[in-house]
Amino acid sequence: MESHDDQNPTTPEPGDPPRVDEQPPITEPPTTAEQPAAATAAPPTTDPARRLFRSREDRAIAGVCGGLAAYFRIDPVIVRIAAVALVFAGGAGLLLYLAAMLLVPAEGTSSAQREGLTGRALTIGGVVALVVATLVLLPGTGSDWWWGGPFVFLAVVALAALGVWRLVVGDAPRGSGAEIVRRLAIGVGVLALCGLLFVAAAWAGAFGGGIVVAAIVIAAGAGLIVGAFTGGARWLIAPALSIALGLAFVSAAGIDAGNGIGEREYRPQRAADVREAYELGAGQLIVDLRNADLPAGDHDLKIDIGMGEAVVLVPRDVCVASRARIGIGAVDVFARHDTGGVDIDWEELPTAPSGTARLVIDADVGLGVLAVAYERDRFANGGSGAFDDDPVRLAEEPGNDACQGSA
Amino acid sequence: MRRPDPPSLVAGAVIAALGGLLLTERLDAVELSFGLLVPICLATVGVVLLISGLTRRG
Repeated sequence: MESHDDQNPTTPEPGDPPRVDEQPPITEPPTTAEQPAAATAAPPTTDPARRLFRSREDRAIAGVCGGLAAYFRIDPVIVRIAAVALVFAGGAGLLLYLAAMLLVPAEGTSSAQREGLTGRALTIGGVVALVVATLVLLPGTGSDWWWGGPFVFLAVVALAALGVWRLVVGDAPRGSGAEIVRRLAIGVGVLALCGLLFVAAAWAGAFGGGIVVAAIVIAAGAGLIVGAFTGGARWLIAPALSIALGLAFVSAAGIDAGNGIGEREYRPQRAADVREAYELGAGQLIVDLRNADLPAGDHDLKIDIGMGEAVVLVPRDVCVASRARIGIGAVDVFARHDTGGVDIDWEELPTAPSGTARLVIDADVGLGVLAVAYERDRFANGGSGAFDDDPVRLAEEPGNDACQGSA
Repeated sequence: MRRPDPPSLVAGAVIAALGGLLLTERLDAVELSFGLLVPICLATVGVVLLISGLTRRG
């Protein structure tokens, strides 16, 4: 039976020659002063499995900056300064840091643990989105959830950041920093494509193609269901959602480009010239009734604008009653600016004394502002910077003095 | 039979449902507002993320 030294080690006796496996390995020739040791080391090669980790040793908070610095082989202070600067750039640094905390594994984490971390991040993102959605839908908060606007915005930004970051590091990019830049470019490209689909769907919906776009969304959903059984359909989720959201935006705003786009101004010179309804798909609609000489009694005026600004200028001797439904925006009736929000149902129906004309405005604004005022350009001389670029500047004065009981 | 991919399956179902809702709005069967659509869209995205996360963890 053949004996193997490695299986049956024996203790060497003094004076025995060294065994083959104990002989010193063949080494490189000794270095000289002209050849420093570093120069003789193996040349640096691209590590095909270099991964991004959160550093355990070089960490101020969660080791994200230390990990990035190690990945790109730069000074961690540079990364930290950049991160702090990004915090003040609209909070982007904070969001990215939080996303990195969730998605980038800590140093020494196993592959299975990394997969679990990504799953946890997606789960948390999903739960946050659902919680925000539930809060918005809670009874009693329906049309008064403007407070939730920033939260909704933050949630959307966080989800976008999550998506980009997932594309960047979710699959643990290998190789040099060029790879992570490439994946970042892919992420931004995917977001840009989704934005393009969003705009295209909104555009088509506004121009009467809503039914076709809705059918495409349904077909994409069906395609995903079929793809779930055949494999390889996940890529369809983002484009399908983008198209659906574009159409949803137009539907909620009630934008109908068939009513026209641009600026329209009407100045009826007689009461008989005042139309019952003024409509615009998107843009600015101005109805100037100051010279219409409205007789005593009620006069109905219907305003319908999908997206933009509707301005009604009225004479001082007319009492104004107004109803408005605003998707997102504000009602600005005689310089009252505290009526902004989402899904506003505005109603102010004062009565007029006998012998006084009353204008009853009934407005539908999808996304924008309904403004009622006596004058325009009145405070332009004051140089109010906020409105200097606004083509229609309204008098900042309270009004509706012609109504019953007005002071 | 191939085991279905849960994220694709759920995403397909909720996106198709959203498309159906938008179609009924276009046919004037229902009236949609931002107050309703924003949470619906957020919930759609949330469900997709949630099911993706749970699938990975599983």
